[in-house]
Amino acid sequence: MALQINHHIAGSGGVRGTVPKAVLDNLATRFRPAGLFLALLRADGTILFHDDSAGLFFQRYVLPLLQYEDTSDSGIKQQLRTLSATSPVTVWNHLPGVILAAFPHVDRRQMAGILILAAKSASFKLSEEVVRVCSRLGLDGIWLNQQAEETPTFTEEAIQRQARMLLAMMRDQVRLSSLEGELDSLSGQLANTYEELSLIYQLSGGMLINRGANDFFKTACLDVLETMGVQGMGVALSGDAAHRQEPVLYGPLSLPPGTVHRLSGELMPVLFHRKSPLLINDLAKDKTFHWLGEHARHLLAVPLQRQDRVLGCLFALEKKAGDFDSQDSKLLNSIANESAIYLENVMLFDDVHGLMMGLLHSLTSAVDAKDAYTCGHSERVAAISRQLTIEAGLPDALAERIYMAGLLHDVGKIGVPESVLQKTGRLTPEEFEQMKRHPQIGAKILQDVKQISDIIPGVLHHHERYDGQGYPGRLTGENIPLMGRIICLADCFDAMTSNRTYRKALPLEVALTEIRRCSGTQFDPILTEAFLKISVEKFRQYMSMRQEQAKDMIELQRNLQPAPAA
Amino acid sequence: MASKKILVADDESHILNVVSLKLRNAGFEVITASDGQEALELAQSERPDLLITDYHMPQLSGLELCQRLKQDPATAKIPTIMLTARGYQLDTQDTEQNGILRMLSKPFSPRHLLSTVNEVLAAAAAAA
Repeated sequence: MALQINHHIAGSGGVRGTVPKAVLDNLATRFRPAGLFLALLRADGTILFHDDSAGLFFQRYVLPLLQYEDTSDSGIKQQLRTLSATSPVTVWNHLPGVILAAFPHVDRRQMAGILILAAKSASFKLSEEVVRVCSRLGLDGIWLNQQAEETPTFTEEAIQRQARMLLAMMRDQVRLSSLEGELDSLSGQLANTYEELSLIYQLSGGMLINRGANDFFKTACLDVLETMGVQGMGVALSGDAAHRQEPVLYGPLSLPPGTVHRLSGELMPVLFHRKSPLLINDLAKDKTFHWLGEHARHLLAVPLQRQDRVLGCLFALEKKAGDFDSQDSKLLNSIANESAIYLENVMLFDDVHGLMMGLLHSLTSAVDAKDAYTCGHSERVAAISRQLTIEAGLPDALAERIYMAGLLHDVGKIGVPESVLQKTGRLTPEEFEQMKRHPQIGAKILQDVKQISDIIPGVLHHHERYDGQGYPGRLTGENIPLMGRIICLADCFDAMTSNRTYRKALPLEVALTEIRRCSGTQFDPILTEAFLKISVEKFRQYMSMRQEQAKDMIELQRNLQPAPAA
Repeated sequence: MASKKILVADDESHILNVVSLKLRNAGFEVITASDGQEALELAQSERPDLLITDYHMPQLSGLELCQRLKQDPATAKIPTIMLTARGYQLDTQDTEQNGILRMLSKPFSPRHLLSTVNEVLAAAAAAA
């Protein structure tokens, strides 16, 4: 016997019209103690459900009777045919010794089954007819009679009342069970929304402007990979953003080399025109992307766009369970929208940062240009200071600030007369005093730019000496700000390895020996150690930087000379 | 092995529904309470293997609930995961003293909650 078990979850495609088995079990349990037997039949007589804990009278006598093929007009199947969706509770007593109340189970105005409530009829006795049925069913009539004596009797009115109650209860229960299913389905949807919300929160938390875009996209892709349940999640940037990130795919799906580049190359123009998500659930049959079909079935790609500008795209490949649907596309789209805002901000930040650094370089070049001998000095001191900071194991962020401090360390020379700066002979004590004021002048020039107030100590104290014999503060040891101690080393090294009006540049080895000799007197001994660990190649790079810069400067000066009269 | 029993307490019914659906689907037995007092009574009568509770609840707050459970030796060892509003932080002293092993801020990922539940139960089983 086929028992249809239906969990009846709304929207899960359960068979329409059937009553959940849990509901029938529950109802059967309630009517059983009164001596009633519950069954659900299809219109053709097939039994879909019956109370399988009922007493023996029902199990061995009533149930087989319901199943028994009888072609006469009084057979159960013929009776069932008289019912329609609008039939009221009907009582039948054509089965010997049994009384039945039947009513249609209606779903969406269609009869989806017939509920039967059966009981022992008041007229039950071991009649000739019952005996005949018993022999047909292979039952002992005496035994059945004994079972029947323990089974309560129902009149027509009584069973009709019970059936009406059953009808009302069943409507309630079916409704309740469908509401429960709906609640589960809503909770499931809500759980998805929670996942999305928490993913978006997580992403927003990672949108630090000074974090590299590729680092951000990597985390974003890995998060989406998990939340959406896909095998591959990738990103490709285009146009102004393209240089920030090569097209890349994260996740367990592995594609042959070049595939990701080809995919992103072909996706970009498509998304550029669509400006909306592209969802393909059968890649092999797709006109444009069929070539990807041997590696994945599904593709979901969304543009990263701000207003009408497409900056790139996010793409998901191969969903683990089922196909991509509108929910996936909505989720990926909102992530793309968030990411695009972030990407645009990073680009704006870099623009502004680039502008600022450009202006700083111009300013320091202007200072260096006052004296041909110091050309490029600030750039080199900045680069060497940064390298020393990294070599000393200090954070990258600090190294960038120190680079900026290195660039600006001599900005105060703007306030020193050119006659002093460019003097070829020895400085008089008065001139030297003027020269010694440049750290303070520099600090003063920069003091109102609050965004770089942290680098002022580097500018102000780059001429302090570890032994306290420096200027302007005559600070000693650790009292000298770290930036000052670092720039001091880089500054002296560059001065030693540059030509001066009064001497030629020292060779690298000599300069390094001199640095070592001055460790603990002029220089911080720990920083000196770190300085001497910088590789010779790095030092050679800085020195070749100088040659390039000097060449440019000579070229410039030559061009500026008045052309000889023809 | 009988499935683990988890008590979920939150005054927001949608959280109860989402969490219990996720946990039931993963094979856990779930009982729910919609305020701190009800949760306390259920914890005492049902002895769950794990408590997931919201912080902000009427009657008893999540923290008060944990403190009350701690006072009774029968419920003192129930490991707890606390749900809080985003940006809200509990003192580590409060969490350590009251058996609060993890904190998740709302809106949390149900998937993450489930993996946290599994971790906490595994740790509790290893400690027992």
